[in-house]
Amino acid sequence: MEAVDARDLVKTFRGLRALDGLTVRIPEGVTYCLLGPNGSGKTTFIRAIVGLLRLDGGDLYVLGEHVSSIGSLYHRIGYMTQHRALYPDLTVQENMEFFAGLYGIDGQRRKRRIAELLEMVELSDHRDRLAGALSGGMYQRLSLACTLIHEPELLLLDEPTVGVDPALRQGFWMYFDQLASEGKTVIITTHLMDEAGRCRIVGYMRAGRMAAEGSPEEILRLAGLKPHLELLLEDPERDASLLRSEGYDVEVSGGVVRIRIDRHAQIKEIMEIITPLDIRLREPSLEEAFLTLSGAA
Amino acid sequence: MIDIRRVCVVALRVVRQLKRDRRTIGLITFAPIVLMMLFGYALSGEMSGIQLGIVDLGGHPALRSHLEGVKDFTVLHLGSESDAERLVSDGRLNGAVVISPDEIQLLLDATSPQIASAIRGAALAGARSEVLGSGAPIVERYVYGYDMEMTDTIGPAILGLVVFFFTFINAAVAFVRERSQGTLEKFMVSPLSSTEIVSGYILGFSLFTLLQSTTTLLVVIFVFGVPLKGSPLLLLSIVILLGAGALALGTFFSNFARSEFQVVQFIPMVVIPQIILSGVWWPIQSIPDFVRPVSYILPLTYATDALRAVMLKGSTLMDVLYPDVTALIVFFTLSFASAILVLHREVT
Repeated sequence: MEAVDARDLVKTFRGLRALDGLTVRIPEGVTYCLLGPNGSGKTTFIRAIVGLLRLDGGDLYVLGEHVSSIGSLYHRIGYMTQHRALYPDLTVQENMEFFAGLYGIDGQRRKRRIAELLEMVELSDHRDRLAGALSGGMYQRLSLACTLIHEPELLLLDEPTVGVDPALRQGFWMYFDQLASEGKTVIITTHLMDEAGRCRIVGYMRAGRMAAEGSPEEILRLAGLKPHLELLLEDPERDASLLRSEGYDVEVSGGVVRIRIDRHAQIKEIMEIITPLDIRLREPSLEEAFLTLSGAA
Repeated sequence: MIDIRRVCVVALRVVRQLKRDRRTIGLITFAPIVLMMLFGYALSGEMSGIQLGIVDLGGHPALRSHLEGVKDFTVLHLGSESDAERLVSDGRLNGAVVISPDEIQLLLDATSPQIASAIRGAALAGARSEVLGSGAPIVERYVYGYDMEMTDTIGPAILGLVVFFFTFINAAVAFVRERSQGTLEKFMVSPLSSTEIVSGYILGFSLFTLLQSTTTLLVVIFVFGVPLKGSPLLLLSIVILLGAGALALGTFFSNFARSEFQVVQFIPMVVIPQIILSGVWWPIQSIPDFVRPVSYILPLTYATDALRAVMLKGSTLMDVLYPDVTALIVFFTLSFASAILVLHREVT
């Protein structure tokens, strides 16, 4: 079953189409990354999934239920907004207790869950500090912990790792992967390409539609990007024309020669033509793939 | 269905937050006392629409025609002194003059010194216009037992005013914050319903309203010497009802503010009219006729009237049920429904 099944979604704000026939199927038990430039409809889509906006058209099913009866699903959904949604004048512990209470979690279960999550986000030693006195990254971590308190099956996280240091971010991703392996669905929006690369599926939105979707590897293939070699040469101009005469796509800038290659086997052939001082193989990044896709779309 | 446990979770959170906000607690506790000191003594105004009863047992025709001619008085002729006394104590007359050949008796409503003094003034002026030598002694009698000071009538009124003012502002600010910090959006994606949110706030704030009113009440009784003739429980219940309505109204208005600064701008629009027009400082009768209808749609008008009646006259729930308590219940219901409606509008 799909965690989210969206068909032809349309949402218009004052004549502007924020969602313009968006069709997406997000399977259960995956980490799914929603990417796209500002205004491409990512947040509108997330808000539609959690029932915070009324659609003008299309059909949307969440965890098998039509979005019109989303109210009955809220105890199965975790939603972390970009605002971080905490009470700065309550302590870390009190914030956790409050959100636990909203989901009817109390007694030993509450105690166990709070301890577990504070451990995960490394805030156990700060439980009596006021949330308002935490650093940006800590605030972020607390917000994530509060979102996870009721063990939701479907997690919607709007840029969850902004301001979190790399080591802890690594920990977050391991946790998201673990949740997915337990059959939970994690939908994330991010601007960090290396994070998108960690997701099982990446959806690239543009102008309210899904421009490209697939695993990170599939996206790279779709963008048609090729790896290239960067060569440091004694006489770049001479070697460049030599390579061009052999039919290679060569570019010279700042004394560095860049050659686009189709197959890694071509490296050996190039080495037979020239002898570089230094050599580096550059694989295309997801970022380049999306820039290409958004330029092409 | 309302889940009472979730309501309590919200209430507990509100209490925890307020408890940490010492400045607000200080303000809501001491503001009423400062207000009493500042305004309690020096206010008076021109009156109109005073309901005066006249019992004519003979003599003093000039006084009678003088009283009938005062344009601010609406005169009702009565047959006996006991009728007059009953109507004054029911609040249907503001006062009465019993004219007999050898004595002129003024029955005055002790809860409103300004009205009493207007009647007294008119009676004295009328007596002076009598033919020289025919003057009879003027005797004053207060229907509620004793001659009240300005602080007596303002004390109970301030109780309502301060609760209304602070609850309205605090609720509006709290909900503007819930919006700006994103917690309201998070609530919308949780099992918590709009009704539970507002109910939780009402429960949490009511504890502080209770604390604030009790402090004010103790100061009013023991420092200013105002008598408490009715039930303190009834008095506090009226205050809580008013506070609950003010909270819901603040929640509703928070929808039209994007920042705390904008909430402050509601003061001239929502709070000041209540302060001026609801009979806290001066009787409604002193408010010009063309503005007076506004007084009758303000909840504080009814709260002020009920609080005075309970505190100074010893009125029971049945005495103040209509129109005062009924009006407050209507105010609460409308505000509560508007607040819930506005929270539902979070879904765009």
